[in-house]
Amino acid sequence: MTDVRCETARELIPDLVGGRLGAAEASRVAAHLETCADCRAEAELVRLLYVARPQVPESVTGRVLAAVRADAPHGRRPWWGLAAAAVAVLALGIGVASRSGRDTETVVPGFAAQGTSTTGAWVSDNGMVAGAPALDGLSDEALQTLLEELESNGTGGSA
Amino acid sequence: MKTDASGEAITDAELVRRGREGDEIALGELVDRHQAAAFRVALSLVGDGDVAQDVVQDAFLRAFRGLRGFRGDATFRTWLLTITANTARGALRRQGRRREARLEAAGPVPAEDMDPHESVAVGEAAERARALLQELPEKQRMAVQLRIDEGLSFREIGDIIGSSEGAARVNYFHGIHRLREWME
Repeated sequence: MTDVRCETARELIPDLVGGRLGAAEASRVAAHLETCADCRAEAELVRLLYVARPQVPESVTGRVLAAVRADAPHGRRPWWGLAAAAVAVLALGIGVASRSGRDTETVVPGFAAQGTSTTGAWVSDNGMVAGAPALDGLSDEALQTLLEELESNGTGGSA
Repeated sequence: MKTDASGEAITDAELVRRGREGDEIALGELVDRHQAAAFRVALSLVGDGDVAQDVVQDAFLRAFRGLRGFRGDATFRTWLLTITANTARGALRRQGRRREARLEAAGPVPAEDMDPHESVAVGEAAERARALLQELPEKQRMAVQLRIDEGLSFREIGDIIGSSEGAARVNYFHGIHRLREWME
């Protein structure tokens, strides 16, 4: 075991008191304190300071987190918000295409017109209605956000 | 502490990366990890628990707003505590009053296996030591507090108090030396 000098011990006393040293280093510093009264006295002072360190009030966490949430930029949305917006654009675009398709036979790549547009919907190669599968996968919260975005944009789904 | 799929603790750097993408859970974990240190730094500078809470809240908001500009040269903890110290000094300037050494938020934590009488004696000595700590000049006080309470290196302490690593070390040992004299 390598002996620890006073200079090294005094630097490491705060970590010893705070339990931040590895076992081997902690035992080396502790061994030095047993033989050095001056370092032992300093360790005692550090211990007194450490045990009386101010504790954080429980209310801090809630305050900070609430402030962080309230401070989130309006433009920043969680991933599902972006997905909902993308689905909305896709659904609206296809809705427009399907209505005008009665007259113009517009072709959307990757999708084929169903029948003679009597349903006003488009089906993809696997027969699923455009937009519907993604909307089914959204949570109620995401769908609510989507509806709010449509209303706030004045589209109201009636484009 | 938050861990990844392999059970390893997620680093602050990874939480910062997630926080930049708007991950509120990651931001919450950063708050959880560093709020106590931020509170103690704020309390040491403003001397009032309520004001210190305001400072901590403001400091986290400033830090999170600036996450995209955080280059990672320092640790998130050092960066946050530097912001906290600056925010606390700003709060003092705005209030136009001196720091009061009020430590109502402090409380000794006696060891569980300690005799009740011994516990009381240690508690009184600890409170006295802590009160005397507040009498040190700011840089000495901060150096002692950040080294003992938070386990920061002298380099990190220097970054926070605006001095070199060597000066932070000198401030720490001068502060400890004074406290030992005052406690005798």
